[in-house]
Amino acid sequence: MTAAPVDPPVHSLSAERWRLRAQNLRGFVRRFASRTDGVIGFVILATFGIVAIAPELLVGPLQTATTATGHSLEAPSGVHLFGTDELGRDILNLTIHGARISMSIGLLATAITIVFGAVIGIVAGFTGGRTDSALMRVTDFFLVLPTFVLAIILAPVILDIVGTGAEIFGIRATLVVIIVVIGITSWATTARIIRSQTLSIRERMFVDRARVIGAGPGHIMRRHVFPNVVNLIVAQAVITFALAVFTETTLSFIGLGDPFAPSWGQILNAAQSSGAPGLEAWWYIAPPAICVVLVVLAFTLVGNALDDILNPKMRGRR
Amino acid sequence: MNRSTFRARAARILMTAGLAFAALGPATAPVAAAEPVVLRVGTTQDLDSLNPYATLLVVGYEAFQLTYNLLVDFGPDLEPVAGFADSWERAADGQSWTFHIREGMKWSDGEPATSADACFSWQFAIDSIAENGSGYLGAGYIDPGVEEAGVTKVECPDANTMIATTDDASLRILQTYMPIIPKHIWGAETYATIGEAVFDAPLIGTGPYTAVEWQTGQFLRLQRNPNYWGTQGYADEVDIIIYKTADSMAQALKAGEVDYVRGVNADQLNALKSDPNIQTVAGSANGWTQLAFNTYGTGTGKTIKGGGPSTPALLDAAFRDALGYAVDKQTLVDRVLGGYGDLGDTIVPPVQTQWHVTPDKPRTFDIELAKQKLDAAGYKLDGSGNRLDKENNPITLRMYMPDSDDNYPKAAQFIADWYGQLGIKVTTQVLDSGTLGELVLPPEAGDGYTADYDIELWGWSWNVDPSGELQIFKCDAIGSSSDSQYCNPAFDKLYDDQLAAPTIEARKAIIAQMQNLIYDEAVYDVLYYDSNLDAYRTDRFAGWQNQPTANGTPMFTYGVLGYTRLTNAALVPTAAPATEAPGGATPAPSAAPGDSGAGSGDSTPLVLGGLVVVVVVVGYYLWRRRQGAGGTMKDEGEE
Amino acid sequence: MGSRYLARKFGQALVTIFAIVLLNFVLFRMMPGSPERVLLRNPYLTAGKVEQVRKAWGLDAPLLPITIAVDPPGVSLNVPNQLTSYIGATFSGDLGYSFKFRGAPVTDVIGQRFWPTILLIGFAEIIAITVGLAIGSYAGWKRGSLSDRVGSGISLVLYSMPYFVIGMPLILIFAAGLGWFPTSGMLTVGATYSSFLDQLFDFGRHLVLPLATVSLGLIGGYSIIMRSSIIETRAEDYVTTARAKGLTDGQVLSRHAFPNAMLPMVTLIAINLGYVVAGAITAEVVFNWPGLGTLTVDALSARDYPVLQGVFLLLSVTVVLANLVADLVYAFLDPRVRS
Repeated sequence: MTAAPVDPPVHSLSAERWRLRAQNLRGFVRRFASRTDGVIGFVILATFGIVAIAPELLVGPLQTATTATGHSLEAPSGVHLFGTDELGRDILNLTIHGARISMSIGLLATAITIVFGAVIGIVAGFTGGRTDSALMRVTDFFLVLPTFVLAIILAPVILDIVGTGAEIFGIRATLVVIIVVIGITSWATTARIIRSQTLSIRERMFVDRARVIGAGPGHIMRRHVFPNVVNLIVAQAVITFALAVFTETTLSFIGLGDPFAPSWGQILNAAQSSGAPGLEAWWYIAPPAICVVLVVLAFTLVGNALDDILNPKMRGRR
Repeated sequence: MNRSTFRARAARILMTAGLAFAALGPATAPVAAAEPVVLRVGTTQDLDSLNPYATLLVVGYEAFQLTYNLLVDFGPDLEPVAGFADSWERAADGQSWTFHIREGMKWSDGEPATSADACFSWQFAIDSIAENGSGYLGAGYIDPGVEEAGVTKVECPDANTMIATTDDASLRILQTYMPIIPKHIWGAETYATIGEAVFDAPLIGTGPYTAVEWQTGQFLRLQRNPNYWGTQGYADEVDIIIYKTADSMAQALKAGEVDYVRGVNADQLNALKSDPNIQTVAGSANGWTQLAFNTYGTGTGKTIKGGGPSTPALLDAAFRDALGYAVDKQTLVDRVLGGYGDLGDTIVPPVQTQWHVTPDKPRTFDIELAKQKLDAAGYKLDGSGNRLDKENNPITLRMYMPDSDDNYPKAAQFIADWYGQLGIKVTTQVLDSGTLGELVLPPEAGDGYTADYDIELWGWSWNVDPSGELQIFKCDAIGSSSDSQYCNPAFDKLYDDQLAAPTIEARKAIIAQMQNLIYDEAVYDVLYYDSNLDAYRTDRFAGWQNQPTANGTPMFTYGVLGYTRLTNAALVPTAAPATEAPGGATPAPSAAPGDSGAGSGDSTPLVLGGLVVVVVVVGYYLWRRRQGAGGTMKDEGEE
Repeated sequence: MGSRYLARKFGQALVTIFAIVLLNFVLFRMMPGSPERVLLRNPYLTAGKVEQVRKAWGLDAPLLPITIAVDPPGVSLNVPNQLTSYIGATFSGDLGYSFKFRGAPVTDVIGQRFWPTILLIGFAEIIAITVGLAIGSYAGWKRGSLSDRVGSGISLVLYSMPYFVIGMPLILIFAAGLGWFPTSGMLTVGATYSSFLDQLFDFGRHLVLPLATVSLGLIGGYSIIMRSSIIETRAEDYVTTARAKGLTDGQVLSRHAFPNAMLPMVTLIAINLGYVVAGAITAEVVFNWPGLGTLTVDALSARDYPVLQGVFLLLSVTVVLANLVADLVYAFLDPRVRS
């Protein structure tokens, strides 16, 4: 490292940046590959990701009451590897299709959470002053609220707002409600973390320099702050994803799900209400439950590994 | 070494603790002779109120009809039998009824029960009707019966006589669900306040059992009324236990923790059948599950801005009729109800054998025929296979259902598929009951209501008299109870005619005509008449009496019959009929837990005691562990 | 302890509680439900009855203490309104009336369910903290060893399981299958007990499975955090010093590393208390434990908003107070915070 900073010419700056990025990426991949837990998590996620993208290829279209292929609550057999539900639908079919629904809800909820959290965090951290303290008051307020009960209360309010139409942008309204509810109740942690990182970046030299050469705050936030918090955002997104799948499962289980879109939580809800535990129909419960646990576990493993690699100092959770 | 012994010790402690708890099941509890006989009845309905005027649920009706008598009760086949009144007769001119209240009857607190109580209770409904028309007393379920019975005045000339003035020619007055509550307790209430009054247990009644303790969401305890005038059942106490799921309820029945369960599903019922001590019963429900088509504008030509049916096709009886051929009701009963139910046709459930008729022109399941009928009625397919309405717009029907029954979304999947085969797309959505109830309201109900739906998949359940199910198709039900928005003056006239019919035969004929009218117009597609799937244990109680005898269930029916007929199962081999079973004198069967002693009512000492015990145990454990663990760590030190 | 620090913390907590009450009010007015909706399936319902019910519940009053009249023009303040009556009622302990239980006071409905939850959660916390801290500190201390991997692995799996996913197999095996424990409830209804001990045993039998569920669900989180806390502490100078002094490994862990690693745990446990109640909702539902969790879900399915609001208020205020306690405890333990 040389002591005096010398501005390189603009054209080579971009090339240099790309070279550095490639180098960083290689280093990152190497370090990630050395984390066994992270790799295990990644493999699980990749598997579920593929399943979620093309469930039809594996098990054909989602079975409905009319297209069910079995009898009520058949135990696992050669024909139905995971048995059937009370309508005679194949549990394997439902679970595989459930992957798509659960993962999509998780993905969209994470997107809302992260965008919301990151924007608030960056703006608060960078702007400082009154805006910062106002935004952080709100954030702290949301951190204190028991999110799960808030989610339960918000669900009917949001359903009322999105209306009773069956679909919005091709997503069933009930699912939109769950996505929005998760988003509203979980952005605060992200905002907090991004803000503190932004605070430290704001003080760095290159931000001052950008300011001196006349860059506006919007430009600085986009071009200088954002690239430096993106690592954190990625790690946070992965952890949020786990939380979103977890929350979706729980909300569906207590009856806020959509019987026409069998996510894993919804399948478990159906299993519970059709009496599967008492009828000892373990095959109805085990596949979706194991999938939920695997996915949440995998996201947590990957998230922890990323967290350690990308932000060695930013550990600790709240 | 140390560590493993510690682990082994911990494991042993856990095992013993677990087994100790497990071993102390009800089955092994000591038996004492003086122990009360408790009948435990399970339901998944969460009791909402002990106030008879406020409750909306079957379990609430069960609670109040055990505590309070009706003036006239219901027999095994719903025939009138003695209730608060011993006997009754209609005046020769047909303008009044005289009810004789039995002499010497007492409330459970020992106060005399007289005609003054009967007049006091009936007066609520008469005042309410006189002031507002019916539907204003409490939740509005009780006074309509009095209005339909045509009662305009009640008088009580002496302590044992109540005279009701009515010009109604039918026997409806004997089926009126009006609980007689004690005037000496509630005398200060009026018809306007009684619906909001707090009925805190213990309650004072004349019924066979009176409510003594209610823990919301958990249970209601009712104890034998020592002053009950009629046949006493074997049970000294009736506990209505509220289960969160039918599953845990079915488990409890198998384990003997409960004697009777109401409302299990088909799979559970089949599983319970294999238990030799359990009897299952599939009673025909006095109700149905239906598709209600939004026909807003029928007969009036009115439309709703930003609401109403999405296609005028729904107003066309020929269109709705054609849809009826696309629904395979046998499949619905087999697959959704597991075979426990009857195929739906008219709007009077078959359990009302006196009134139900099969349609004159029944529809069959025939998708091809449905297509032909749609074509013939002018609903053509477009190039991509969508059915078009007469304005050439593709028909997409929005079907909504409440979240109160898991079977609704199952049935909806079938319907959507069958309509889909006709080229009609169906979008389905589950809503909570309150939201759906408001969604189907038209502007007649108030500003902001737009009846913005096409099909409502929901159900109804009814009283003994069929006028309720006829009422909801009247023009003036639009804006309140109508979920089809159907209006047809001819139907309204028939409704008035059947109320005024001079004889039962005449009324039957009119009601048959009304059933056929609604069926032919296909305002509703009644999918099925669900069954009530109940089960009960036969090893403790005998004498279970279905009501009605042919197709009913022993409990959650009309009146108190099922409870008063119960006998001791241990005495059954002699096949003694249910006449009398003195409580307390008979030793209790071994399945009942515990001895007499401290009641289970107040949980405060339990809470405090539990806390103390746990604190002591945990403290001791931690202390021991600290001693032990310190040693373990020391021994393990390697460096 | 600095009184200004104290005053600030109390002030913040008070402001937050007030904000929660306001949020409650706003949400309540946005809710699509109102008490008359439960009446809607009555075939004899009339529009007049609906109006009557709305009046009876005070839902026809203006929302805010200001009304702006058009004719004649003018602004009047402090008219009878829903906002001030709501705030006044809430702070005097009146949480309104349940829709579902036909007008029963919300405080009564919640009161019945308070102790079962406290018992379940309290015991579960004690077990989970004890076991979780033990697993976590041992795993952290023996970082990288086999016991660390197994301990951390189990903790992570437990951490990834929703409560009902833990509870359903327990019912399947121990209640439905083996029949060792009852499937639901807190006491055998209608049972009469010969002695207090009898009753306690009945309670214990019902408690085992839900308690196991909640404890297992909590252990993962505590263990994971304790592990990383120990790992951090382990690298500190005083631990190295203690080791250099010749103390055994066990002594270093129990006398130096563990107490210091506990510092962040104390706040975490305090803060967690409030969330745990909300989190254990599904465990209560699975076992039909008559606590706040089942109440919440029942109230949700009946759209009993006053009860939902009451539970939300209770839990939020609990969390705020737990936070306050955590701040104070932390300040007490670590004087640096106060400055």
